[in-house]
Amino acid sequence: MLLSLDKTDTRPLHEQVAGAVRRAIAEGECAPGDRLPSARDLSEALDVNVNTVLRALRGLRDEGLLEFRRGRGVTVAEGARPHSELQIRVRELLTEAARLGYSRTDLIDMIRGMP
Amino acid sequence: MTDRTTARRTTTALWTAGVTVVLAGMPLLARDRLPDRLATHWGLNGTSPDGSMPLWAASLVPALIWLVTAAAVTVPLMRAGPPARPWTAVTLLPLGVVLAGVQAAVIRSNLDRADWHEARQPTGWVVAILVAAVLAGVAGWLLVTRRSGAADDGTTSGDDAPTLDIPKGRRLVWFSRTANPWLQLLAAATGLVAVGALVALLGGLAAPGALWALFAGCAVASLACAVSSSVQARVSERGLEVSFGPLGWPGRRWAPGDIDTARMEVRRPAEVGGWGYRLSGLGTTVMLRAGECLVIRPRGRRSDFAVSVDDAERGAALLNALRTDRARG
Repeated sequence: MLLSLDKTDTRPLHEQVAGAVRRAIAEGECAPGDRLPSARDLSEALDVNVNTVLRALRGLRDEGLLEFRRGRGVTVAEGARPHSELQIRVRELLTEAARLGYSRTDLIDMIRGMP
Repeated sequence: MTDRTTARRTTTALWTAGVTVVLAGMPLLARDRLPDRLATHWGLNGTSPDGSMPLWAASLVPALIWLVTAAAVTVPLMRAGPPARPWTAVTLLPLGVVLAGVQAAVIRSNLDRADWHEARQPTGWVVAILVAAVLAGVAGWLLVTRRSGAADDGTTSGDDAPTLDIPKGRRLVWFSRTANPWLQLLAAATGLVAVGALVALLGGLAAPGALWALFAGCAVASLACAVSSSVQARVSERGLEVSFGPLGWPGRRWAPGDIDTARMEVRRPAEVGGWGYRLSGLGTTVMLRAGECLVIRPRGRRSDFAVSVDDAERGAALLNALRTDRARG
């Protein structure tokens, strides 16, 4: 699998790492059931602290994209691909809304008002 | 290429035939000065022989062993295609030397003896044969790597190596992993036997001598299988890193500047001499399954390092891109 990190990005590192893995899942770089490289491997290759990587992976587990299994490491969850695409779009929507001056509550109100 | 193939085949055939004639011929030529039965085996601790063969068997048995081994080594490798054929030299050269040397030693120690019981153990010979075999193996190895290196240099140019565009300000990393379930199973099975033997040893259930041997043998086999049962490869700005086994240890690393070129190649176990960590005419191969391999040529080396992982084409492309990026500045 190929992971890509933007060196000019100013977001917190754990969000960037989570974003890279999310994109890899959305683009089919790793299929459901595939084992992710270990946190130590990821941290060495990306040149990021291992705790930052672990924080990113835990966040992705809470989103339902990853599964932590004892003895099998971290694997991609069933049906993670469409799920991660949606997650990416929601994030894009949030940044776009923030750029235009809408808060999260404004967005939620907008979605509630949808027919 | 056809000339070289024919030459190689002729050399192999001549070597096989020559060694056969020497093995079978030596006892027959010297039969007037040999006893009816030849001493052919000596115990580890005594100088008097503990095994013998009639003259005809002493002449035929080594020749048959040689012919069967030569056929077993040559036929599958001939089938495996051109890159693997150099392997025959590394196997057949030392083996021929050992068999011919042993035969000569047997004849020498039986010469002018009235009875095979009088033949003395040829210790000096054994040492000399081992040394000669090692030298022959090294010579075959050098011959093979030089030849294949020369052949490779003509075919691979740096231009057709795959490469990848790294967008400015991006950090790309590539991971791949292969596991061989059969080796994992083998590691688990031998590991279980080793643990069983250890428990029996500690409990004093059986004679310690054989159990220790069983434990040591199985433990070593289990470790070797476990280490070569899975492999992780990763390409990042640190270069190519390959690590073995479930613990990711041991491992090897090449910085981008230490690599001349990277490419993808399809290899099969028959071409590199089997599964696991393999040295052959193709260089070093970490072979866990047939198919795509990521192959690199380390800088200043004449042989390649290859590892059987999926998606090797992109790994090689990223490695080449990192290499040229660094070279540019």
